[in-house]
Amino acid sequence: MAPSMESTTGFKFDNVRRNQLLGDKGYKVPTATKTGTTIVGLIFRDGVILGADTRATAGPIVADKNCEKIHYLAPNMYCCGAGTAADTEFTTNMISSQLALHSLSTGREARVVTAMTMLKQYLFKYQGHIGAALVLGGYDVGGPHLFTIYPHGSTDKLPYVTMGSGSLAAMSVFESRWRQGMSREEGIELVKDAIEAGIFNDMGSGSNVDVCVITKGNTEYLRNYARPNERVEKEQSYKFPAGTTEFIVPRPAGVAAGEESTAMDTSA
Amino acid sequence: MDFAQFQQAPVSVPTEHHSHGNRWDPYVDNGGTSLAIAGEDFVVVASDTRQSNGYSINSRYSPKAFELSNGSVLATTGYHADALKLVEHIEQRAQLYFHKHDRAMNVSAMAQMLSGILYSKRFFPYYVFPILSGLDAKGKGAVYTYDPVGNMERVNYQAYGSASALVQPFLDSQVGFKNQRNADPSRLLERPQAVKLAIDAFTGATERDIHTGDWLDLFIIDQDGIHQTKRELKHD
Amino acid sequence: MFLTRSEYDRGVNTFSPEGRLFQVEYAIEAIKLGSTAIGIRTSEGVVLAVEKRVTSPLLVADSIEKILEIDTHVACAMSGLTADSRTMIEHARIEAQNHTFNYDEPVPVESVTQSVCDLALRFGESTDGQQSTMSRPFGVALLIAGVDDRGPQLFHTDPSGTFWRYEAKAIGAGSEGAQTELQEQYHRGMSLEEAETLALKVLKQVMEEKLSSTNVQLAKVTEQTGFQIYTKDELEAVIGRL
Repeated sequence: MAPSMESTTGFKFDNVRRNQLLGDKGYKVPTATKTGTTIVGLIFRDGVILGADTRATAGPIVADKNCEKIHYLAPNMYCCGAGTAADTEFTTNMISSQLALHSLSTGREARVVTAMTMLKQYLFKYQGHIGAALVLGGYDVGGPHLFTIYPHGSTDKLPYVTMGSGSLAAMSVFESRWRQGMSREEGIELVKDAIEAGIFNDMGSGSNVDVCVITKGNTEYLRNYARPNERVEKEQSYKFPAGTTEFIVPRPAGVAAGEESTAMDTSA
Repeated sequence: MDFAQFQQAPVSVPTEHHSHGNRWDPYVDNGGTSLAIAGEDFVVVASDTRQSNGYSINSRYSPKAFELSNGSVLATTGYHADALKLVEHIEQRAQLYFHKHDRAMNVSAMAQMLSGILYSKRFFPYYVFPILSGLDAKGKGAVYTYDPVGNMERVNYQAYGSASALVQPFLDSQVGFKNQRNADPSRLLERPQAVKLAIDAFTGATERDIHTGDWLDLFIIDQDGIHQTKRELKHD
Repeated sequence: MFLTRSEYDRGVNTFSPEGRLFQVEYAIEAIKLGSTAIGIRTSEGVVLAVEKRVTSPLLVADSIEKILEIDTHVACAMSGLTADSRTMIEHARIEAQNHTFNYDEPVPVESVTQSVCDLALRFGESTDGQQSTMSRPFGVALLIAGVDDRGPQLFHTDPSGTFWRYEAKAIGAGSEGAQTELQEQYHRGMSLEEAETLALKVLKQVMEEKLSSTNVQLAKVTEQTGFQIYTKDELEAVIGRL
């Protein structure tokens, strides 16, 4: 067996050269789904609060009106994802399982810096081709921690952060209203307003606000904390009367589907 | 066997392919949706009012359906700046016609003229998808649709714009009665039904098309004139 | 009038001290040498009748065309210089076709009349340093008959580029006598058939030759059938009613 076939883990690059050739010849190279998103995080008096909108898009079309963008990493750590949907999903899942193994073998709760370091090393290895832009928040022995991690592997440690296509809208809210030592209620309200700024001003973001509050020894996932975009009632019903569907050939009574086959004439 | 070659990272990986470089491109798609439904003696015209560029909203209320001086309505989608210029162009020609012939243009004359205006810019088109609506010489609802270079067709209903792929099939079913047994595809809608369909088309389009939303401009054209109303759509 | 001839009677761009453009006035005079043409408007349509001067027995009478089609709904009778009328009618035809091309509708009768008059006025035009395109005014008067959304209409144009709307109008050599006669005989409730008879009757009175189906031409423009020139048989039927 060829050595390249021996590996059962990691990515396969078998088609790289072929796809490059096809791309150069003008064929359309398939593109991964990239989600417009607003994700945020802030540190408040007792911990961190993460926030996300719930819109998933495929180009200009809303693919999912109520998806979950705050991913579980560990009981004391959650991670908001923006960018290529599959990459954020797989990256957080994989790091989550590695963190579980890590805390099992150390017998301790994993630290947020550990998760951050694993994520950045993983993303750096792939030189930005794994399109995951993350907001990582958690509470560990050192207290609350909040990071942003970019697809190329760079990280920031800041008291309030935003990411995704709605990051500018959300940051404008944070920059005007965030302050040190906010209460839980104030923090949640600010996160909600920041996400709503993204929802209403960035077309890549929309629908509802998800919030996750992580404090010492406690995590609260507030799914659909705000629902500012309920669907309105239709003006009328669109039920079709029975028998509306067109058919070309009526099926004779008593004949089941599939029996009406005509054998090909092979006599000639 | 040289093991090292299998350890190497790929020399290069596929990136998004751009067929043309940084060529001058004077056009922008400002998104949004417009539709028109003709009735026996009326036309319903509807356009959302969001004007956008990429993921940004330029304006939540930037109308793209325009009342014209001869009592017709031009609903547009595409590049908003071109739409505004096109309306100016049409109105200028309509005014010349009015003074030259001492009468307002009827819709069929304006329809033919618009086709000519668009074709006159065949090699530097107005990037606009126009829908011209009004009452014809017999008082019947008339809807004319165009591509940006002037191909014209009179139809009973049409949806254009960023949500056209969502709305047109809906109209095909509910206005055109397509592919339905016991239905008459040539039947024209009554006014309340047409208005309800226009509204539902837009609340539906707003749910799934990111470029459509904010407000709905509704026009009903009948022999008494143009009745305009405004409704709220979702803002996300 | 000819007593007032002076240096001002040459240029088409120069008013006389009395405020007259002699060349234009002479052109209007030229029409009075032309054959007589009559137009009568009724609520059912417009009738045009012209005298054809068959000056020689060897002249093919059918080759004299004095009533011409501009579009299916507009026609024209002329008097004066035939060659000049060709230019004007060609212009009118193009105007009508352009209108239909641009607006998918027949050109209004008044608009096509206006357009012909715009052309008639171009005798004064010339671009800087260029030779002017027209050397003199057209020596033609037209009776433009047509039907549009304002109903049947009859217009008279003259070489000055002016036009008027008429119920009934005569132009050409016999116009003075014919116009007087029309004034007396025309009434608003007139039918198309009555107009046919009146047109030929008046024409007959002012013609030097004896009126026959070869030396007159009759045409009508109606809402239903548009422009039609009467066939020999149709013409003789009308003559029979005189």
